[in-house]
Amino acid sequence: MVNGPSTPSAPTVFLGQPRPVVAPLLERAADLAIAQVLDADGVPNGNLAEPDLSQAQLRTMYETMALVRVIDEKGWQLQRSGRLEFWIPSRGQEAAHVASALAMDAADWIFLADREPGAMLLRGASLQSLFAQFFGRAGEPLKGRRLPLLLGDRALNIIPCMTQVGAYLPHAAGAAWAAKLKGDKTRFIVYFGDGATSRGEFHSAMNFAGIHRPPIVFFCQNNGWAVSTPTDRQTAADSFAEKGDAYKVRNLRVDGNDPLAVFAATKEALACTDEQGATLIEAVTYRLGFHTSSDNPDLYRQPEEVAAWERWDPLPRMRKYLQACGYWDERAEAQMQQRCEDEVREAVTAAEAMAPSEPAAMFDDVFAEPTWQLREQRERLLAELETELETGA
Amino acid sequence: MTQMTVLEALGAAMAHEMARDSDVVILGEDVGTAGGIFRTTQGLQQRFGPDRVIDTPLDEKGIAAHAVGMALYGLRPIAEIQFSGFIHDAFEQLMFGATKYRWMTGGQYSVPMVIRAPSFGGINGGFWHSQSPEAYYCHGGGMKIVVPSTPQDAYGLLLAAIRDPDPTLVLEPVPLYRTLRGEVNDDGEAIGIGEAAIVRPGNDLTALSYGPMCHDVLAVAEQMAENPGYDIEVIDLRSLMPFDVDAITASVQRTGRLVVVHEAPLSLGFGAELAATVQERAFGYLHCPIGRVAAPDLPYGFSGGDEYYRPNKARIAAAIRRAMEFDF
Repeated sequence: MVNGPSTPSAPTVFLGQPRPVVAPLLERAADLAIAQVLDADGVPNGNLAEPDLSQAQLRTMYETMALVRVIDEKGWQLQRSGRLEFWIPSRGQEAAHVASALAMDAADWIFLADREPGAMLLRGASLQSLFAQFFGRAGEPLKGRRLPLLLGDRALNIIPCMTQVGAYLPHAAGAAWAAKLKGDKTRFIVYFGDGATSRGEFHSAMNFAGIHRPPIVFFCQNNGWAVSTPTDRQTAADSFAEKGDAYKVRNLRVDGNDPLAVFAATKEALACTDEQGATLIEAVTYRLGFHTSSDNPDLYRQPEEVAAWERWDPLPRMRKYLQACGYWDERAEAQMQQRCEDEVREAVTAAEAMAPSEPAAMFDDVFAEPTWQLREQRERLLAELETELETGA
Repeated sequence: MTQMTVLEALGAAMAHEMARDSDVVILGEDVGTAGGIFRTTQGLQQRFGPDRVIDTPLDEKGIAAHAVGMALYGLRPIAEIQFSGFIHDAFEQLMFGATKYRWMTGGQYSVPMVIRAPSFGGINGGFWHSQSPEAYYCHGGGMKIVVPSTPQDAYGLLLAAIRDPDPTLVLEPVPLYRTLRGEVNDDGEAIGIGEAAIVRPGNDLTALSYGPMCHDVLAVAEQMAENPGYDIEVIDLRSLMPFDVDAITASVQRTGRLVVVHEAPLSLGFGAELAATVQERAFGYLHCPIGRVAAPDLPYGFSGGDEYYRPNKARIAAAIRRAMEFDF
């Protein structure tokens, strides 16, 4: 099962006023000042110069994107078959987060949103540990206390998001400022969506960044929809990037489905941190799948719109580019697909077999040292569990 | 030992920690150039520079949220909110951000930040400038809360809050800021969070309070002591989360009577938690129902009406008398 209506199926039934179909902004990239290296077919179009990337880096970029797609399809299946509680698809947004995360150094801090599993992979997270996070197992780095797909691990300098959309933007800006104060060279990137730009914390963070110039990239993945709310109901501004103007935060739009453009834009933003501090990047992309496994986009968006964006799918685009460079062919593609599927299947089996958390473990990590209240409440739970064991209740 | 007002003691605690630990920073509205609207932070920006004493935009949510980020990276930020009536803009940041990172990351990250919030009424400042917001912030896990009522406690509890590895809210007693002066041992000694102070030992009734009300309760206890059988033990809680359950329980088991006094509204106020906890632990010792003296469930006072809204000495005395005279 594909986690999104890739082909028009039954006629759409809307529960409110239907939204008009919006053609992909990428079709007018030059007019809209959306930085682009590749056209829809993966051919450099002269808009922006190709970044200096080795064959190995280009392959890593593509293979990570492809692996994210396989993970996403597997996650969707697991959710639909009742093995995972919840899923947040990343389909269509692979280039935006993989290419930007690849532009960061390993010591740089990443504040994730919820559609960026590729950032974890690039930092060296194993597939099993990733799926252990999806399954919320005790042995995963965050002890299974998150919704599936809210990923992170301090060992990788990746911080999981506070679930309230965009509420963590000032956390990233504050951390970046702290690094600057301490004289560290650490740089920061924080991911969020178009909807997050309406939150007060977006304003707080931009305002702070304009004044204090912390070394940070605000990476907005504008995927066209915040659940069912399209761009023109989210803002009257011409772009999300231009919101940076009022705060004097450097900003730009980039084709979020063009990994080379995203990589170049992120690298450039990082090169500017000493002088300019922050950059707000609006990566124009599209959510090909559902908002989450609890969503049904057939109720609010038209299949024609999705079909038009399929043409800008970052995976075939990057594959064609690699092929034209002579770095990739059908055999490599087939081998990689097989490898991804095998590795993901093995990771799922291993992660699913891991133990869930012990109930009493929920009392850990509220404070560094539990209060007497927590100690008492924990004892009470342990006594309950003991009784259950004895009585079989 | 130095004579200090509550304000001076708070300033001395911050100066001490900033000199000792370069990770301690202050951020808030008007905290730098102006030294804070109450002048609590005066002189600190000159001494420690504008990077460590940061004048922020007018944005309580942003102050709290950026402090969270600074703490995640390893600083120990002290965020000042000008009045606790304005703190709720930061509620989500505090109760779903600052207090949850440790838990939601399985202990990988912590947020050692302090939020200073001038609180309590009695200054005829109207609704927004007279708030007692403790109950909201005690609920839901992850926040420690201290409430000093003397210069020494202001000094020692703020030091403890800054050094604590978890988010700590300091509700400061605005009405005592400049009116209360006392000896402060300012040698860097913190007061343990969760330790109450027995302000007046007694045998016949336990009167429990925190913040500015402690002084009213103590005055009433001294007055009533002339009457035989009215030897009242006054306890200043000092910390609300966690609170000193052992000191309270031991006291009530000895006196058999409890009256709780706070100036936050009655319903679901902190007194409700204290009453429930004490009856669980000292039910067989109680000679009378637990009394609560609190503000009515209203917006704070009306112009010039603080004395009718806040618990006053007459109401405290009446509650004590009711407890002492109670007959099954």
